[in-house]
Amino acid sequence: MAANAKDIPTIDSSELKELTDKLVTACHILDHEEVTDGYGHVSVRVPGADAFITIANISPGAVTRERLIMQDFAGKYIDGAATPPNEWPIHACILKARPEIVSVAHTHSKWSTIFSVLPIKLKPLHHYGKFLSADGPPVYEGVGLVRTIERGDELAAALGSGPAVLMRAHGDAVVGESIEQMIERTTRLAMLGEWNHLALLHGQPKYLSAEELEVYNADQRFPLRGWEYFVGRLNGRKNQLE
Amino acid sequence: MAASDYKGPAFDSSELKELKEKIVNACLILDREGITDGFGHVSVRIPQQAALLTIAQVSPGCAALEKVVLLDFDGNFLGGAKPAPYEWPIHACIMRARPDVMSVCHTHSKWSALFSVLKKGLRPLHMYGKFLPMAGAPIYPNAGLITSVERGDALAGALQDGAAVLLRAHGDAVVGASVEQAILRTVQLAFLGELLHLAAVHGEPLYMTEEELTTFAGDRSFPARPWEYYLSRLGERRIA
Repeated sequence: MAANAKDIPTIDSSELKELTDKLVTACHILDHEEVTDGYGHVSVRVPGADAFITIANISPGAVTRERLIMQDFAGKYIDGAATPPNEWPIHACILKARPEIVSVAHTHSKWSTIFSVLPIKLKPLHHYGKFLSADGPPVYEGVGLVRTIERGDELAAALGSGPAVLMRAHGDAVVGESIEQMIERTTRLAMLGEWNHLALLHGQPKYLSAEELEVYNADQRFPLRGWEYFVGRLNGRKNQLE
Repeated sequence: MAASDYKGPAFDSSELKELKEKIVNACLILDREGITDGFGHVSVRIPQQAALLTIAQVSPGCAALEKVVLLDFDGNFLGGAKPAPYEWPIHACIMRARPDVMSVCHTHSKWSALFSVLKKGLRPLHMYGKFLPMAGAPIYPNAGLITSVERGDALAGALQDGAAVLLRAHGDAVVGASVEQAILRTVQLAFLGELLHLAAVHGEPLYMTEEELTTFAGDRSFPARPWEYYLSRLGERRIA
């Protein structure tokens, strides 16, 4: 059940410290792995509340704990830095529609963008794509920033129950049941996009079948190895996980 | 060239300190972001003057305060490092023709160079391209350096009232109402060129429509945010 705002821990509370540290680290990872450019954001649900924390009008690669903001699902400011990102409804509307989701990334990944404007789908051709359906992520056709709840709800509807949605002429939104899973999926969606691009230059690739995807997706053995690796590659960058 | 009647702040005055720092950081950013190679330059207009600051003959990636030069729009040296870049008319002629332009970037971006020699226009297929016309950035057709006012004026004529012009077999010139905006557009133009290259090898991409571009061109843009980001990526190289 949703808590009242007065019951929500403050953004700098020790209760939320692990999550906010992890959120900052996740932003730095997406920058370091070259998935985000100067734009994009990552959010995390505030446990037990209709609220989330994201980055306040700053590039993911430059974010610090002091630049985080907490808002409710209607966009109301709760705590933290003052200016919400213009596209806060991406996070609010997806988290509202998908109670099992803990974290959302929105990026302008070039690989998602190119498949958002091509008649060819970004489909799994490596088992990294096991989280996708055989016909690849859907495309949200509404071009432009997602600055209203109406557009956020449309985007959430296009995402449906899936892990990722491409946004035409814009980028993507990727969800996870943890920050770690969101990072794994966002980075792998970019890798898969690049591999689709490379393979398609040579002809029609052999994609993974629905049956194969089901088999691989049942195997969830390594959720943390990727996270540990990405954190390692940040190599001492400020505000990384302690 | 006519003698200068420049009456603006002196090169060493404190008034110009911030602008000098800004163009040095801007040059370093274009190098860090992989847009410039050893060539190219960034300029900024001296407010209310027919004069500009740019870098003397040095690579953008090696720019420093000691390498900044003050020139008037006729190319007269008004202070700072020597010699002026060969292509100073790119900056002077565009600024003279376009009072709204405060800053010009000239690069040999591979993505601009590529589309400068192809029939396919560098057209917007991501909303980053909202500063481009639907048919794509115009192309200045004459190859070679812009070392004369005549050629600078022809380049400004090709740019017209736009934000970017490709220079055939050469690169691009991108303008902004601030250094921050010129840098953001330059980086985004390169991103768009790469996206178009990647998409177009697979077929005809869906470009943005005239209507969509009109809608997004009215959107607020946020040059302060990427500027902060680009500065953060300079790390120790950042000068101020």
